[in-house]
Amino acid sequence: MNNKRIIIVLTILAILLPVSILCHLFCGQIPLDFSDYFPSDSSNLTTEQLLAREFRIPRMVMALIAGGGLSLAGMLMQTLFRNPLAGPYVLGINSGASLLVAISLMTGVSFFGTEFGLIGSGLIGAMLSGLLMMALAQRLKSQISLLLVGLMFGSFTTALVSIMESFAKAEQLKAYTMWSMGSLQQVEFLQLPIILIVFFIGIVLSVLLVKPLNMLVIGEHSAGLLGLKVLQTRFLIMAITAIFAGVITAFCGPIAFVGLAIPNLTRILFKTQNHTWLIIGNLLIGAIFLLLCDSLIQIMEGQISLPINALTSLLGAPFVVFLLMRKIK
Amino acid sequence: MIQFRNSEIGHKNLLLKIDDLQLSQGKVYALVGRNGAGKSTLLQSIIGSIPLLSGEINVEGIGINQLTINQRARLFAFVESKFSGVEYMNVWEYLALGRAPYTSLTGKLSISDKHIIEIIATELNIRDLLEKQTVKISDGERQICAVARALIQETPIILMDEPTAFLDYINRQKLMELLIKIATKKHKCIVLSTHDIDLCLENKIPFLVANKGFVELTILEDKRDLISHIFELD
Repeated sequence: MNNKRIIIVLTILAILLPVSILCHLFCGQIPLDFSDYFPSDSSNLTTEQLLAREFRIPRMVMALIAGGGLSLAGMLMQTLFRNPLAGPYVLGINSGASLLVAISLMTGVSFFGTEFGLIGSGLIGAMLSGLLMMALAQRLKSQISLLLVGLMFGSFTTALVSIMESFAKAEQLKAYTMWSMGSLQQVEFLQLPIILIVFFIGIVLSVLLVKPLNMLVIGEHSAGLLGLKVLQTRFLIMAITAIFAGVITAFCGPIAFVGLAIPNLTRILFKTQNHTWLIIGNLLIGAIFLLLCDSLIQIMEGQISLPINALTSLLGAPFVVFLLMRKIK
Repeated sequence: MIQFRNSEIGHKNLLLKIDDLQLSQGKVYALVGRNGAGKSTLLQSIIGSIPLLSGEINVEGIGINQLTINQRARLFAFVESKFSGVEYMNVWEYLALGRAPYTSLTGKLSISDKHIIEIIATELNIRDLLEKQTVKISDGERQICAVARALIQETPIILMDEPTAFLDYINRQKLMELLIKIATKKHKCIVLSTHDIDLCLENKIPFLVANKGFVELTILEDKRDLISHIFELD
């Protein structure tokens, strides 16, 4: 097999991940010492130690989770729809999440009322738009139509959000605008355990789906004839995608292109359709990519504050064009 | 092996009616008929993808509508007219899917699963292809791989929807000989729909003629007879 290739790629990624974590932790505007991350006395923290705990660590963990999670969500959708151009962003999953977040931030109609209202909104929005796409996918035979419907859905929700913006109060508008630019800095240290738990549940569920995913590669009909319970699998995949995309979008704002580009990059590097490797690959490459992107943002923070969404689009869009040029048959 | 009793087949409207018909092990049957006669619908009905309007189809005495999805996958293998390949999926990964009805939740192949894949790959002479990508081999090679996957599924019945449609003359003949050999040697019941009447006549395989809403089992050796049968000529 091409096991040798997989081992080499994995080794490189395993080295790159800690490097990019360290890079991310130490490239902020205020220089920190290694010891600042390991305070000896946690009840009496210095300013540097507090900065490390309250800002640097949550931001690093969030980059890790958002990168890995969005890539995994993209891989799941690409396999489900058998379309390398599918992804949470293209298929309107993010748009659905954005719409409900906008509603809860700008109209005062909150869904849960607590500080987790935002996550709830993101999750429900992602799930609803996921179900809508799934229902439409049944009726649309062509893959291109599905992508176009996803884009139309995106435009439609954007229009709805614009209407809300024109009616919103100044501080509501500010809150939404800040959120929509995308930032990895919104998470607090104490929220990390919840996000980490959600993230790990998503990974475990994905790993349990390796066999169905490998079967779906040859199409739902053929997979069904090999004993796959298609409807059940489809629903599970959509649910996991919604968990990843919904929670991450709620916390970090919309982050474009990661879910579309990274799964393709992973397949190109690993050259396999075995989802055991693809899951590991997407988690690693997605995390490394977003850590490095955010490191760059931190380095430039003195001069300009670049939203993460802008940077991922800047890098992702040309890559997707490259994929299209390569794929056109 | 497969037994039809007053089976009425169709999507919503009756397309084909089979009063009494029995297909046995060790044989290849050619399902022929005009476009729209209901060949594909019949194949889909046998595997239970399209429910019967009335009557029954039994396999080894069990009604096909009583089978679970997994039982079905252990009884029938299905070969489509074309497998276009999947980028980055190599032939080994594709063949391994044939073991899916037998592997556990994780899908990990046991030593005996791997052994079966090796044996079939050797028998069909595709060992050289195992590490190649499924998109980078020829149409003929892919079709042999699809047959190999069906054999790896180890089912008593194999159904094929126009398996020779996209093959050249030599590959058609090769595939047909291979199927006859497999059916006799491994006691399988193979039903394939086709428009390739000459090929079936040359290989003397029995015909299932779908015409005017009925399916009839005939062994004809004269092309003229057969054609007039299918196309209702005088």
